[in-house]
Amino acid sequence: MIYPNINPLVLFFASIFTSNILLTNFLGMCSFISISKDLKSSNGLGIAVTLVMTITTGLNWILERYVITPLDIGYLRYIIYIIVIAAVVQVLEMIIDRVSPNLYMVLGIFLPLITVNCAILGVALFMQLRNYSFIQSVFFGLGSGIGWWLAIVLLAAIRKKTENAPVPAPLKGVGITLITIGIMAMAFIGFAGMINVQ
Amino acid sequence: MRFDRDSKVYTVIFTFIVSFAFLVVLSGLNVMTSQQVKKNQELFMIRAVLNAMGIPYTSDDEAIDIFKSKVTMETKDSYNLFSAEVDGEKVYAILFNGSGLWGNISGVLAVNSDVSRIVGIDFISQSETPGLGGRIEESWFKEQFRNEAIVNGKVLVSTTKVPDSKDDGQVDAITGATLTSKSIEKIIATYIPILKSLLGVN
Amino acid sequence: MSDFKKILKNNFWLENPVIVQILGICSTLAVTNNLRNTLIMTIGVTLVTALSNFTISAMRNLIPRKVRMITQVLVISFYVIMVDIVLRAYAPDVSKALGPYVGLIITNCIIMGRAEAFAQGNKPLISFWDGFTAGLGYMFVLVVVAFFRELLGFGTVLGFQVLPNSFPKWTIMVMPPSAFFVLASFIWIVRGMQIKKDVNQPTGGEKK
Repeated sequence: MIYPNINPLVLFFASIFTSNILLTNFLGMCSFISISKDLKSSNGLGIAVTLVMTITTGLNWILERYVITPLDIGYLRYIIYIIVIAAVVQVLEMIIDRVSPNLYMVLGIFLPLITVNCAILGVALFMQLRNYSFIQSVFFGLGSGIGWWLAIVLLAAIRKKTENAPVPAPLKGVGITLITIGIMAMAFIGFAGMINVQ
Repeated sequence: MRFDRDSKVYTVIFTFIVSFAFLVVLSGLNVMTSQQVKKNQELFMIRAVLNAMGIPYTSDDEAIDIFKSKVTMETKDSYNLFSAEVDGEKVYAILFNGSGLWGNISGVLAVNSDVSRIVGIDFISQSETPGLGGRIEESWFKEQFRNEAIVNGKVLVSTTKVPDSKDDGQVDAITGATLTSKSIEKIIATYIPILKSLLGVN
Repeated sequence: MSDFKKILKNNFWLENPVIVQILGICSTLAVTNNLRNTLIMTIGVTLVTALSNFTISAMRNLIPRKVRMITQVLVISFYVIMVDIVLRAYAPDVSKALGPYVGLIITNCIIMGRAEAFAQGNKPLISFWDGFTAGLGYMFVLVVVAFFRELLGFGTVLGFQVLPNSFPKWTIMVMPPSAFFVLASFIWIVRGMQIKKDVNQPTGGEKK
């Protein structure tokens, strides 16, 4: 197995800033726009996404390496990954509910939403496409999750501050949110020189 | 309802039947198209070799014919080395694999017989940031390497504007994609010595 | 068939899934800097939505409640994988360009949304139409976005040079943020038109 020669830490920071899963790769938009109306929910959702993303990326790597590749069933990859994601979400929901009802109040309600979050499936697919090692995959998943979390919290904060701004009617809601996201994306491009080549 | 569709037994049977039907159809499709998919992979490589060597072609079929008739491939020291005669000169090309910013970059690097100039470069696969690093596949970037001199065993991919000379061994990097551009520089610098040793040039 | 016409009008314009409900842009927005890829992607989404709506509707009386969601996901994945296999074999350049984004059609909220909202409760034929028109509405928005992004970013439309070489290319249009801006502008214009129509209604009441 020849894995790309990239330091996992570099991958970690790069997936938060210079190639943010949401602002650069457009993944995870749906819930992003609707939930960012409320800061507290955004935080909760961000944590949930990070957790699920890291776990499923690792699991999917194991499956890819020990099941999909040996059996050469690459064409079934999509459905296998998504079943894993759905299963992890289900199990996580049960565990959290059992272990800490308080945590469940914060996170639990978002978990079903996450199953169809394109970001999670997307990260797993990217991981497979780029042929990362296990460590690289986990750091990639963790970094992407944190990047998503960062983006949604930032957006929620901005939306809160601009709640009472005079926005023209056709732009209210979705329109102005998109423009805000666009400006954030531009700002994140400014991070481009930050990561040094290994 | 003749049966209770919420019963456990039915649920299990249903899931099995649906999954099974699903699997059968998809495996069938997969088998039917696998030959074509292999052909496509080969075509990507053939096109990259011809592009890097500067051999023109007008259609995919013509590309395959030209490749079969004009290009010879040999495996030396686990590297894939291609050779052909282009405009009376012997041109050599090698399949390369290197790390980009995000993942593997693979492609073909073509040089002249004494490894003093790059004849051309083309890419087969890369997963760099679309719109930024991904622009290495754009023709303006690749054409910079066409006939560029190799200076001190490498070609510098510079972030400051370089003069449009083919003899200084310098080309322009992609704005906003410094790391990917530098990866290309590294890949070339790695494969020049390999080519030199494979071809017996100092 | 006034029902069919009503659904078309709704899904394409009045409640266009992207403009009004901002659904389903994940999987396609990334490829909107190229018109050809966007066309192929949105045609794929339309086909999958229509076919999975049809299949789920045909099966709706057979699906046990417990596995409703997973069955829907299975059906949608089935069609997406078919699209992926076909692309890989017969349009390899497009397949390479679209990459993993084809697989992401599975998580496209529009498809799940239509399956839940419509196919579960309606007959197969009209469900197919509902899925198809929702896909068309989606295609409409994204094709417009892609048209402008490719035109201003590369000066080409579908690969053909349309603007003169002297036109300074707007590099921002090639980069991610522009997708958000162009989409927002489009929404601005369309919503503006929709709101004006509401205001000019003779009865002045709330239009659905």
